[in-house]
Amino acid sequence: MKKAFAMILALVLTLGLVACGNNGGGTEGSKELNIFMWGDYISGDMVSNFEKENGVKINLSYMNDNADSITKLTAGAGDEYDLIMTCDAYMESLIKGGYLEKLDPEKIPNAIANMNEAYWTGENRDYCVPYLMNYIYVVYDTERCPIEITCYNDLIKPEMKGQIGSIDGARNLFPIALIALGYDPNSTNEKEIAEAYDWLVKYNENVVAYGSTETNMLNGSISCMLTYDGNTANAMAELGDKNTLVIAPFTKDPVQLGFDLFVIPKGAKHMDMAYKFLNYMTDAEVMAGNLVEYPYSCPNDAAVAAASEEYRSGPAFDFDYKTNIFFQKDVGDTIAVYDKYYQMLKVG
Amino acid sequence: MKTAATKRMRRQKRNAVFGNIYAVLIYSIFYIPVAIMIAFSFNDAPRNYAWQGFTTKWYGELFSFSNHALWESLAYSVAIALISTLISVTIGVLGGIGLKKFEFRCKKFINMMLYVPIVVPEIVLAVAMLIIFMTIGIHLGMWTIIIGHCTFCIPYAVVTIKGRISGDNETLQEASMDLGANRTQTFWRVTVPSIMPGIMSAAFLSFTLSIDDVVMSNMLAGASKSTLPVLILSVNRTGVTPDINALTTLMVALMVLGMLVLNLIQAWQKKKVQRQIAEAERRISSAK
Repeated sequence: MKKAFAMILALVLTLGLVACGNNGGGTEGSKELNIFMWGDYISGDMVSNFEKENGVKINLSYMNDNADSITKLTAGAGDEYDLIMTCDAYMESLIKGGYLEKLDPEKIPNAIANMNEAYWTGENRDYCVPYLMNYIYVVYDTERCPIEITCYNDLIKPEMKGQIGSIDGARNLFPIALIALGYDPNSTNEKEIAEAYDWLVKYNENVVAYGSTETNMLNGSISCMLTYDGNTANAMAELGDKNTLVIAPFTKDPVQLGFDLFVIPKGAKHMDMAYKFLNYMTDAEVMAGNLVEYPYSCPNDAAVAAASEEYRSGPAFDFDYKTNIFFQKDVGDTIAVYDKYYQMLKVG
Repeated sequence: MKTAATKRMRRQKRNAVFGNIYAVLIYSIFYIPVAIMIAFSFNDAPRNYAWQGFTTKWYGELFSFSNHALWESLAYSVAIALISTLISVTIGVLGGIGLKKFEFRCKKFINMMLYVPIVVPEIVLAVAMLIIFMTIGIHLGMWTIIIGHCTFCIPYAVVTIKGRISGDNETLQEASMDLGANRTQTFWRVTVPSIMPGIMSAAFLSFTLSIDDVVMSNMLAGASKSTLPVLILSVNRTGVTPDINALTTLMVALMVLGMLVLNLIQAWQKKKVQRQIAEAERRISSAK
């Protein structure tokens, strides 16, 4: 009995050691690359071609929330990964916290040559390479929506009651209210945020549901949505010839542009492969291939030029205020203020 | 008299109708979502917004090479669930027998503490474990997820198995030792078979808890792989694709098949036991 138990214990421990050995191995001439990112967001061909070219195994693991990357990095698990996907809003605090490896521009010539400078600026440029990006804009159905939407303030008109579907999140909702009121979308002034809260209370009254915007649009529950361009592309593709959705012709208000970008965490074990992948990913042809499967907005100009006509003429990306944009910035400790008002909004 | 009888019959009939309606309602809440999930695995559209037409192409897609991410994560989930189940049931058997059979100090306290991992929210346990693993420098990976899963599977296993051990077992064990079996033989040939149903339900419970866990699997995951539930949630950002419906449909089909097979085996075993009893009785009567 005791012997049997001891043997089971020994077996389990040895298996454990073997497993650990596998995980820790292969630091030199890297044979693997560990990437942490969103699921269903990179084409299988793009991954397998890189694996074949470099004789390397790419291990993908998946996040459920943008904050997951922060959790992993701040808990100290960053060195388990070689590339981590995060979004621009978190960059400042990640850089300040010293969690990221500073990139060597000589190792990513493709990114230097192909990336649109407007989307890759400031301090962020030294630490990340943008992958894809998404606009958050307003889309409405010309046949069912009671009024034409040309600015955020149209969304809180009483005619719009029960018409709106919206994406969620404090840092997606408060900026549009702040802009509608004429403030900085990344305001750190509590008085302005409180006013934005009042605006959002009115917005809330018109909203039918948060989340699943394109599903609700397609089944007719809503006639207007605040959503991502990628979701709009899917909805418009679904409707095909019968598409009556249009991107709201905004004249003055800017729309939010968010980035999904790759960073190399401090202490990454397969740094050489991480650089190789970043350079491979920013190659025009490679990214153009990826855009076939994942037709999202792309900051890589050369790739967009090389992409199919179908992608470039996609109706979800066809609007004329693409450069009238704002970014989500790190608001520091004010995030607590946003959270407070956001919770008030949710609880009612 | 007659009217009373018809009244009672009518009441019984009405109750039966209500009972049926009630059962149908409850079961539809259980199974309508599963049915819709299965139906949409045959939907001829790249995203599951609305029904477009019948196709089986998603099953083809599922088995194509480009979908290895889905299979990899399924294999990972199953491996984790099997190992967690093995560990939990082993500890569950030892713990269940120990806590039932022996008297010792603090037994009540230990019994009570068993429920703590069941009541404490999983996210609290997960964060605590992440911090512990990071502090003592253990690399996150398959084994950290398994340890995490065991923390909530073991209490269920112990409780289930403990509940199965009754006074009869004690008598049987004594009889077995009386008849010359040593402790090991008694354990394997008498104790284990007599609590087998408990072990099986503990095993199924642990496997289920482990394979659909998200919180621990997400927090304690290492760099190399993700489990299937974590992958599905991640994909949900842009909408679940029909190949995932196809995969989950296959999983449901496998589970139903497994349950049928289990039932058949149990029926067969029951028959076998009955046959053995009949045989023994015949032998006893003929000896007389």
